[in-house]
Parts: sequence; structure tokens; C-alpha cells
Amino acid sequence: MPYYIGDVIKEAGKLTARTPEKFREGGIEVIIDTGVAEVDEQRQEVRLADGKALPYDFLALATGAEALRPGIPGEDREGVFLLKKLADALAIKSYLAAIGCRRAIVIGAGFIGLEVSEAFVNRGIETEMIHRGKLPAARWDPELGAALLEEMKRRGVIFTPQTELISIEGGDTYRLRLNTNHGPREADIILIATGIRADTRLARAMGLTIGGSGAIAVNFSQRTCRENVYAAGDCCESFHRVSRRWVNIPLGDIANKQGRVAGSNIGGTPRTFPGVVGAQSFRIFSWEAAAAGITEREAAAAGFHPVSALLWGNATAGTMPGPKKIGLKLIADRATGRLLGAQAVGEQRVVGRINTLAAALWAGLALDDIGYMDLAYAPPFSGSWDIIHLAAQNLLRKM
Amino acid sequence: MGKRLIVVGAGAGGGSVAAEAKRRDPSLEITMIEQGLHVATAA
Repeated sequence: MPYYIGDVIKEAGKLTARTPEKFREGGIEVIIDTGVAEVDEQRQEVRLADGKALPYDFLALATGAEALRPGIPGEDREGVFLLKKLADALAIKSYLAAIGCRRAIVIGAGFIGLEVSEAFVNRGIETEMIHRGKLPAARWDPELGAALLEEMKRRGVIFTPQTELISIEGGDTYRLRLNTNHGPREADIILIATGIRADTRLARAMGLTIGGSGAIAVNFSQRTCRENVYAAGDCCESFHRVSRRWVNIPLGDIANKQGRVAGSNIGGTPRTFPGVVGAQSFRIFSWEAAAAGITEREAAAAGFHPVSALLWGNATAGTMPGPKKIGLKLIADRATGRLLGAQAVGEQRVVGRINTLAAALWAGLALDDIGYMDLAYAPPFSGSWDIIHLAAQNLLRKM
Repeated sequence: MGKRLIVVGAGAGGGSVAAEAKRRDPSLEITMIEQGLHVATAA
């Protein structure tokens, strides 16, 4: 959706995989613009907000996640937006077009905030990012976050860290004013991107078991604590193959896979969801960021003995013109030598490296294996020792 | 008559549940209920 706001994707229609008509052609009834009031498990009925009751044999909860609001006065004013649903993206784009937006404030420096700040800048809007922490992309090492911040500043984003929000009111020079502990800031649009949380309202009302992550607890078949009730997507947990804990990682690719597993089981073909390794990526202007596995803090909490090292290198062979920087941090367990996590940022070929390391995490490989793994080599793509090899061997020396 | 499946939410997760369940068992009677105006949206 940030790429739709930034006009990279021109048509909103491209953002939907299937229309209600397409589902209906496939024999699936779709009711839109309608909430669920309650589920009566005794009668096996779903009662809709309009009073209608629908009987079921199987129920699947795919209630998604809701965007968090900071809870400050004025956050519901016109011109203040969240970005979670397609309707939000449509509303933002038509608002931008209608008012001739000159200046934007983005609150939050996670990947949604970062992607939208790029979209605003690409539309010629002066953009300020307001952040509670010190650096963008908190999941990445501070040194990698600082490199992303450099790229944002080069492209003209104003970054205001360690900021507490006070209120939003009408502005003088621009339409809105955001009051903060660092004084007032004005803009024509304010985007709130301070995170999302699993929407478990219906599950809680039904008394379903909620996991430690705050999302709906499921088993490997995507079944909840009830025999005929399944859950999939941002509203439920996934098994993390590295920490061996149940986590909530709200990403669309995971939702697709969990949905397919739930649907397969409901349709009578047994299938299990194998879990996740926390692989994720985003782009900010011409820099890529990607990560997989767990952070040092998560590793320590799970009882591992994390040791880490960060290495800066080249995305291509050193002999090739125009070197492209890439920074790769690896985290491993001192007790077993096993890889626990990988984080990278850089100008090129970052996601490919992290995908390779995601496969290593998936399989539970140790640094020894990774340091000599056979990877595709040619000068335009890597050195004869890839940064993956170099980082693994570098960390091995610290073990 | 086939068994009835109700899917609450028609985003990436819900759309996938409904489509795969129908593929595996065409006799299922499936209804997806979506609070918003759009279904099967990409992030």
C-alpha cells in the first residue's frame, strides 16, 4: 500500500488478489461491510451485526490485526491517518490529491512508517519522521539502523528521535499541529504508524485460548483450542523454529500459508504449518533491509548464549567497478555454534543474502557449515568469498 | 448437503482459508464475512 500512495503502483485494483465476484464465481459467498456481533457456540451460529444468524460446522477466524493509536487528544482529526486497510490507503491518496499536501509528519519508524515516508518524499512532500526511539528499524542493530538513517537524511527526510507525543490540533501555516516534548510541528497530513496488534476481540469473547504473544493460540494444523474452530493470519500465533516459542509476526506471506493450511485441514486434506524463522525485509529509497531469526535479547530470553559480530563488506566482487556497501550482523549460540539470527542493510543484494541465511536458520545450520557453504559465485553478484562466508568465519573467531 | 464453513475476515488469511477449503472439498458451503469494504488485499 505504501507503493500505491507513492504512485509506484498506479491502480488500487492491483492491490486486491481477488474481488468478491471472483470468490462468488468459485462458489464462495462473500458478505462485506458487515461485522460479527457474536458467535453462539452452543447453537453453532455466527450472529452478524445486522441481526442475521448463520449456522456453521467449521469456523475460521482471520480477524487480522488492528493499528495502534497513541491515545492523544486530536488523533481522530481530519488529516490524521492510520495505514492498515486498503480503505486507509485510498483515503490517504484522495486526501493528498484534494488538499495539495505540502508537508507530512510520519509517527513511528517501523517499516510501514519508513515506506510511507519514502512515498511522501517521492510525491514531493516535505516529510518529518517523529520517533519515540533513537533510530529507525529497532529490530536491526543500531549500527545498521544508523546506516538507514543516513540514507533517509540524504533523501531529505527530517528525523526527530526520542519524541513523546502530546496532542494534535489545528495548525497555522499547515492544516495540523502536533505538539511534542520537543515543541510543536506542523503538517497537512499526519500518518500514525506506531505498530499493530492482533485483533482477538471475537476470540476472547468466545473464550478461546490466547497465547503469550497476545494472539490466538493454535496448533500446527491452525486449529484453536476448539475442535471445529481454526485461526489464520495476523490474529494468531506461529511457531518460531529458532526460539522454539510461539510468536505473533503479522505479515501477509505468513497469513497466506497459514490460511492454506487451515483451509486444507477443513477440506479434509491433512496439512501442518511448519513455522517461521522471522524473515522480513523492506526498502527505504535505494537501501534494502532484511532480517531473519532472533535478536540477541530474544536469544538470551530463550536461554541461548548469544554472541554476535557485524561485518561491513561489498555486495559484489571487489574487482568490479562501483562497490556497493552491505552490512551483515550474525548472531550465534556459543554453546552449539548454531546460527540464531541475521540482520543486514545495504545498497544491493541484501534480501538474497538474508533469504539464504533464513534457509540456514530453517535447517538449524551452525556457523561452521555456513562459512564453507557452496553459494553461486560470479563477480557481479559477490566476491569469491561471499559476505555470508566472511561474516560466519568472523563470528566463529569470536566463539 | 455439504458442511458449512464460516470465515470471519477476508484479508490474506481469510481469503486463503476459503479458497483452499473449497479446492479440497468442493461440497463445502463457504461464507466469508468482512467488516471492511475490500477483500483479499495485499499489504
